[in-house]
Amino acid sequence: MRFLSTLQTLKPSALGLLDMAYIVVLLPLLLMLKVPMLLFVFVVLVLLVFKKEPAKPLQLFFVFFFGILAIYLSLYGAFSFRGLSRLKLFIELLVYVLLVVVSLQRLTQKVNFYLLLSPFLLLALSLFFYHGMAMLVYVIVEIFMLLWLILAHRMEGDLVESFRSGMVMFMYSLPWVVVLFIFFPRISFEHATYGFKGEMEKRMGHDGVMYLDGNAELVPSDRIVMEVGFDTQIPPSNALYFRGSMLYVDKKDHWEPLPEFIQRKNARPYTTQDTALSYKVTLYPTQKRWLYMLDMPAEPIKNAMLDTDLISTVKKEIKEPLHYAARSHIRSTYTEVLDEPTLQASTLFDKDQNPKSYRVAQDIKQNVATQDKRLSAILRFFKDQKLTYTLKPDALDTNHSTDSFLFDKKRGYCVHFASSFVTLARMAGIPARVVTGYKADLSNSLNLYLSVKERDAHAWAEVYLDEHWVRVETTATATGMDAQTQTVLATQNKNELLDTLNLYLLYAKYQVETWILHYSNLRQLQLLDYAKSNPKFIFVFLASLLTLILLTFMIILYFRRPLYRSQHLAALQPLLNLLQNKGHLRQSKETLHQYFLRYSEEYPHLHQHIALLKQIDALYEQMTYADQNHATDLKKLKNLVRTFTKAKND
Amino acid sequence: MKSLHTYIQIHKTTKRHATRFSIVVVVLLFGLFMEAYMHDFNLVYITLFFVFSLAFSAGPIGLLNLGNLEAAFKPSGRFFALQEGKIVLQLHNNSSTSSWSITVHHNKKEVTLLPLLKGHATALLQLPFTPQKRGMFSYDACYLQSKYPLSTVRFTREIPSRYEGIAYPEPKGVSLHAFMQENETYYGEEKEFDGLRVYDGSQRLSHIHWASVAKGEMAVKRFSKETRTRTLDFVFERMEGTVEERLSQLCLWTLECEKHHLSFSIHMPHKHLTSTKESIDEILVYLANA
Repeated sequence: MRFLSTLQTLKPSALGLLDMAYIVVLLPLLLMLKVPMLLFVFVVLVLLVFKKEPAKPLQLFFVFFFGILAIYLSLYGAFSFRGLSRLKLFIELLVYVLLVVVSLQRLTQKVNFYLLLSPFLLLALSLFFYHGMAMLVYVIVEIFMLLWLILAHRMEGDLVESFRSGMVMFMYSLPWVVVLFIFFPRISFEHATYGFKGEMEKRMGHDGVMYLDGNAELVPSDRIVMEVGFDTQIPPSNALYFRGSMLYVDKKDHWEPLPEFIQRKNARPYTTQDTALSYKVTLYPTQKRWLYMLDMPAEPIKNAMLDTDLISTVKKEIKEPLHYAARSHIRSTYTEVLDEPTLQASTLFDKDQNPKSYRVAQDIKQNVATQDKRLSAILRFFKDQKLTYTLKPDALDTNHSTDSFLFDKKRGYCVHFASSFVTLARMAGIPARVVTGYKADLSNSLNLYLSVKERDAHAWAEVYLDEHWVRVETTATATGMDAQTQTVLATQNKNELLDTLNLYLLYAKYQVETWILHYSNLRQLQLLDYAKSNPKFIFVFLASLLTLILLTFMIILYFRRPLYRSQHLAALQPLLNLLQNKGHLRQSKETLHQYFLRYSEEYPHLHQHIALLKQIDALYEQMTYADQNHATDLKKLKNLVRTFTKAKND
Repeated sequence: MKSLHTYIQIHKTTKRHATRFSIVVVVLLFGLFMEAYMHDFNLVYITLFFVFSLAFSAGPIGLLNLGNLEAAFKPSGRFFALQEGKIVLQLHNNSSTSSWSITVHHNKKEVTLLPLLKGHATALLQLPFTPQKRGMFSYDACYLQSKYPLSTVRFTREIPSRYEGIAYPEPKGVSLHAFMQENETYYGEEKEFDGLRVYDGSQRLSHIHWASVAKGEMAVKRFSKETRTRTLDFVFERMEGTVEERLSQLCLWTLECEKHHLSFSIHMPHKHLTSTKESIDEILVYLANA
């Protein structure tokens, strides 16, 4: 209330309102200004705060010179005539020039047309630089603030009344904005980058090389790698494998993909009876080229490659959030007739590197005839070794990593399990390879939304059986988990309420990003197609729109209601309105008592009305001046007013 | 339905004119449209739609802001040729919401500002007006204007009624007092005085009764010639100057007589006006139309 009364007493001048508008529009731009320009803005601010009279020509010249110097220093090195063809640089230069010009004009303390216009230009220019959630919220606030300030200027600086009017106008506009946003025809252009600096976040978790030494230490992180929205249903927990990279080559301490000369570039289409599952992914910057798809990808993603290992990549590293639609068959096997180089790479091992494992593998190979039974024997052997799953394993002997893990340390995480398993399988005559990617956790899903975090990074194996690559979850052979890992995982899951809340926030953010920030002609067409085939959706949509309109209308009514000094004056208002409408106008500077008295004198024959009016007058006077403002009195006053208006209308 | 009918009526009676800020809005919309369409920036789309919707909603809001006002001229004071008078305009807000930033444009170029008129409130505005000649005049070409809310549209609404008044001759010439002083011989020597009366600032200093002043009472001498109850006779045809000058002189004396509660009569060529029979306004009207 104190804030409200302060606002009521504040009557900022046109220049003051303009200053507020500049503060609002400059805030996001300050984040992209270079240090010299920031310094320039700071100097101008200091001059504005401490210098009350208009700047003299010499001072203006100094500011102009300083501004030009700041522009030069800010763009030093980046500026050239060639550079101007880059939109970002051009916009940046435009912002700088505008800032200098606006500063000079502001220092003269004269409001001209261009000074009034510039906040809108700065708002439009700032939209070239930011497109995230925060900016979405800020833009809406910014538009409202600018509207508020324009209205305050029109309303003699009355901040409270202009706020109310601003809310009314804003609410009038909101349904239109929603309808236009959904239905305004779009053209499918890609987002322009123009050398814009992307979000320089680097996501760890999966980088195409799997280390077995200290580098591979797993640090669980809750940073989001990607968010997935399924069209119809979320697959079960044991099917949430997102393929990242395929590793064939054992380099003792790490695994690598096939060398470049072995061409496995284009996926051969395979047929299946399954219906493909459609989903949309928002992948955050990884600085890598992999696009993650669920096992097993059905077709290449638009503008991406899908190789024979069903690994999807793009040509350039992903430096800003990427959105793609994908389709996958939810299954753990797929058919492939292996070419000779791949077969060799999938069966290659060094028997001297891990002699103990080799002996075990040979035993299995000799005693078990078929490959699928050998696979079962290997899995059984892993279980018999009583391997422990731990997030912090002891360092392995990287010259004999499989032996070290299976027979000596017996502690590790997915990487160690997958690596050792693939080595042993190859020794037993089964072609095998390591797959790295993400195994999503179903607890991070809500409705059709699933978030995949860095901690979901995973490695598993694929073995080649009967012209099929078959996924093997090697970590499942662990017989237990060490206490420290249990504690870490338990700590991370201890606050379920917070996790759920976080998940809901992520879900809301994803929905906003999907349906607002990345709304496109594709989404528009999908929506229209969906509406065509689902009359119920049209009904739901219209009902939602109607609800929004009703909601905004209620807010409009709330902000359009007249403000009264007191509750009893508000209670009296229907009576005053009635008298005014009946032609009994209240004169300037006439008190309510005098007004009622005049009515009694003018209409002496209306005895009933006059008697009521006298009661109302007395009660109102008592409530106002005798400081007797009880709820019962207020109720009585309302009743009297109601009786009077009813009698008068009759 | 009643509201819709009212709105249609207001829409019909209120004119809308684009201001230079509407050009700014169009340019801004075009710029944002290009930015949004070329680069597929959804934030720009949102800004574009907000600017469009706000500019669009400014229309009805501005229309109702001005359209709910009811303007009517009220009886104003006397007007004299070549002297500034005030025409009273009553503005009443029929709506429960306040009307903002109203300007009344009158007399072709003059503007009177009314920053706020609360809901169901009435305001009286005094519009300055100087009649250029005596006689009947009508005051029209008066309209209400508002740029509320966004300054992009200028709403104007003509005031349906017009003010019709009469401008009396410009009161100028020799004051009645000076005239009577010049002609005091007609009324005898002022050596003796009959009594005292309170000094009201209009009497000569020589008439002040200093003995009373010494006692703390501001009094002047009352002469027998003043107490004589007689009627001042002004004869139009005996006066000097042009017709306008004579009418101005008569107008001045009429007003002075009214002020000092003196009875008088004016002999016009075809009419004999007497203050005891006709009211001052009737006499002034005759002079205005003479």
